[in-house]
Amino acid sequence: MCPVLGHLAGKLESTDAEAEHRIAVLYQEFGGPLLRHVRKSTGNDLQWAEDVVQETIVRAWRHSARLQWEPSLIWAWLLTVARRIVIDGRRRKSVRPHEVEPPEVDMLAVPDGSERALSAMVVADALRSLSEEHREVIEQTYLRDRTINEAAEILGIPPGTVKSRLYYGIRALRVLLRDKGVAG
Amino acid sequence: MHEGVAAYVLGVLDEEELEEFERHLDTCARCQAELQDMAEIPSRLDELKHLPSAAEDDPPMSMSR
Ligand SMILES: [Zn+2]
Repeated sequence: MCPVLGHLAGKLESTDAEAEHRIAVLYQEFGGPLLRHVRKSTGNDLQWAEDVVQETIVRAWRHSARLQWEPSLIWAWLLTVARRIVIDGRRRKSVRPHEVEPPEVDMLAVPDGSERALSAMVVADALRSLSEEHREVIEQTYLRDRTINEAAEILGIPPGTVKSRLYYGIRALRVLLRDKGVAG
Repeated sequence: MHEGVAAYVLGVLDEEELEEFERHLDTCARCQAELQDMAEIPSRLDELKHLPSAAEDDPPMSMSR
């Protein structure tokens, strides 16, 4: 498929049809794997996961220049976009208390419970091996659903410092997990 | 600017910084490579939620009261 020709054809004939086609191609290539991935972070809420995948695909289509990247980079970007959509959704849900998810949804997840717990212990170990400064910023941002700025205020350090520690902390964590064969 | 990639992957940038970082990402090969490298880390961290005694209830050691 030639994206330039496709783009021109879209302009000259029917933009809607071309857009539909591109979105269909995106779904075909990434939809399935993305849905499996997103379901893990929506507590197996399938409807929510499908909405997240749909929004991710539409966002990818809007940034069509990025679709010229190599597939493994597109995939990494799609995962990141989808995660952000899930996080934003969770933040919105948490300000409406009556819609709080039942806490035991995870029980319905993939039935390899012991394997998961083992893997979780490896991650917990890796986190404990980090320096105090690195572990702290990972805990105060991602693990507590807080932004860099929110965590900076709580920790009493500049946002730039949080961002920088997070970078080196995540790199260190990545190395530890790779050594333990958890992160590919 | 490059250091923002970890915060981007974890989804902890605010809206404005997120857009700024994505513009940077479009032209930075180094951040593109690191994005690929880090993309699976959040899922690994999510596994912590499957630990029998979720750490969410008790405050981390680093937290002073
Ligand atoms: Zn960069």
